[in-house]
Amino acid sequence: MKVLSKDKLSTALNKLSDSAEVFVPMQKGKQSGYFTWKSFEEGQDELMLEALNVYQSPKNAVFPQTERIYGIASQGVEVNIDKTYEDTSANIIFGARGCDVKGIMAMDLAFLTKGYEDSLYKARRSANTIIANACYEPGPNCFCNAMEVNCVEPAGADVILHDVGDGYGWEVKSDKGEAVTALLADILEEKEVKLPAIKPFIQNVDYSGVAEKLKDMFDHPLWDKLAEPCVNCGMCTYVCPSCYCFDIQVKMWGEQGYRFRTWDSCMFEEYSREAGGGNPRGASKERFRQRFLHKLQFFKERYGTPLCTGCGRCMIVCPTDINIVRIIDAVKEAEINA
Amino acid sequence: MKEITKKIQEIAARLFAEDKIDIFLAWAQQGEHEFHTNSYVARSAEDVKNIVFNEYSIYNVSNSLLKFRDSQERIGIAVKGCDSRGIVRLLEDLQIKRDRLYIVGIPCPGLKDPLAAARNYGGFSRKEEEGLAWKCLDCIQPNPVIYDELVGTEQTPRQQGDRFAKVKELEQMSADERYKFWEDTISSCIRCYACRQVCVACDCRTCIFDEMKPQWVGRENSTSDNMMYHLVKHAHMAGRCIECGECERVCPVNIPLMLLNKKLIQDVGLLYGGPEAGMQYVEGSKPPLSVYRENDPDDFL
Repeated sequence: MKVLSKDKLSTALNKLSDSAEVFVPMQKGKQSGYFTWKSFEEGQDELMLEALNVYQSPKNAVFPQTERIYGIASQGVEVNIDKTYEDTSANIIFGARGCDVKGIMAMDLAFLTKGYEDSLYKARRSANTIIANACYEPGPNCFCNAMEVNCVEPAGADVILHDVGDGYGWEVKSDKGEAVTALLADILEEKEVKLPAIKPFIQNVDYSGVAEKLKDMFDHPLWDKLAEPCVNCGMCTYVCPSCYCFDIQVKMWGEQGYRFRTWDSCMFEEYSREAGGGNPRGASKERFRQRFLHKLQFFKERYGTPLCTGCGRCMIVCPTDINIVRIIDAVKEAEINA
Repeated sequence: MKEITKKIQEIAARLFAEDKIDIFLAWAQQGEHEFHTNSYVARSAEDVKNIVFNEYSIYNVSNSLLKFRDSQERIGIAVKGCDSRGIVRLLEDLQIKRDRLYIVGIPCPGLKDPLAAARNYGGFSRKEEEGLAWKCLDCIQPNPVIYDELVGTEQTPRQQGDRFAKVKELEQMSADERYKFWEDTISSCIRCYACRQVCVACDCRTCIFDEMKPQWVGRENSTSDNMMYHLVKHAHMAGRCIECGECERVCPVNIPLMLLNKKLIQDVGLLYGGPEAGMQYVEGSKPPLSVYRENDPDDFL
């Protein structure tokens, strides 16, 4: 197997950064997330490839929180689009865990399939290569196995890294993977390696039948109880590797401006507010329910897989300790009175 | 703390039995670990057994009152010093009536941050120290300022040294250095609005940041829009922040939000004097910057 020796890691990242933006998991000051290798400051920042994961998912690399769509120039009553902003520059996500790779796979389904293509997303994603980092030691909050993720061989990765102690086994999975491998031809070594054994999951989550059961639970009283502590901030949706909702808005200064899109959250009242002032999800509980139904039922119905990836981020950061695993359990246990 | 839990449960049970309340707001442990402790609404005498006061009961439950401001329930509520200041703020802002509340005060020994514990347990990043939450180390008011019944013994404030030391440090910087400091910290904001949602002083029914016609503050995740958000939010907190520190505690990207609040607390103190936000409840009283008079001696209006 090809191996990337750990002492050649920064050489490899430098090499890859010559032709692409390379997003790596990093502790950057007080921030924990994926940042570009070019922004890495020796002595201050810390590469987090060995850690279980980082708090901000890599979705920013293919679906930035804010991105411009087109520029506007108006003259009198005439309005012209003077610029479009599709970004086709090469980018590499280096070291994503299986859960986060699934997040991008889910966004691919939403943005690229069923007869609809999001051109901004498509442009970025076409130029994007995913180098995943196989996970042999699931953490206490991990449940990706229940969310159809193979954490050692994540589907959708172009290359998979396998931590073998002093190096990373380098498993090529696609043509894009071949292309980045070629860039590192004189850095990768051919070696005999023994892949580690995967440790058991600490948490047991049973998702089977949940999507089907939820069909009959839209008006179930359990939502009142589950939603009670929720304060409707958008933290869970913004740290989530698969939440992809956005809003489109415009900024104008006199006759110049641009249209942009920016992440939005179903947790916000204004997200579902209609132009006439009505709001089908005006109540906190309704927004809370929407998030979990979308994760566990609607997406599964439309695309055949849940929108949750089992990364466990939302349950770590939630200010009021809302926990999707406890919600899955509660749905499993709930009685439905016909 | 087990003693205090027991006493709160007894009081809540008594209030339900005497039909003096419809709900009781406190904390409960929701998951298998103690750090899974968060806000809780007991709706009947049977629910009372779930109430706990443990070292993670840090959530400011006065914020939960906002969910009930438009309904009629008679509410029992357990509060620490900081939470009780939140109640005073809501009373001053006429968000809830005093006679709807039965307040059980708990002199607070200082608590731990369940989010720090959850992060440590989750194992994503380096372990953090799990001593008293920093907001508790800065506490100037561990004892409830308003209550009907007190549980436990009075505590002494834990805050040591110059309360505004960090503010003064920033004030010493040049304008450019200070701008750089805030640019660096605020550019990492992800605009999740958790700081607003957990803030008891943020009791506006329609928040300026949710207004669409006109849209006062841009939604781009850019340094300038982020700064606008934080400057407007915090300026709005001048004379209103009760220093519970929840905004900074819950921030997922570690923005030092209390620095902004402390600066405003310091300046409002210097400009107007008087008791700080939520420190005492006098019926009809208003915090600074919330009274409009046509004969205001200043001519800027």
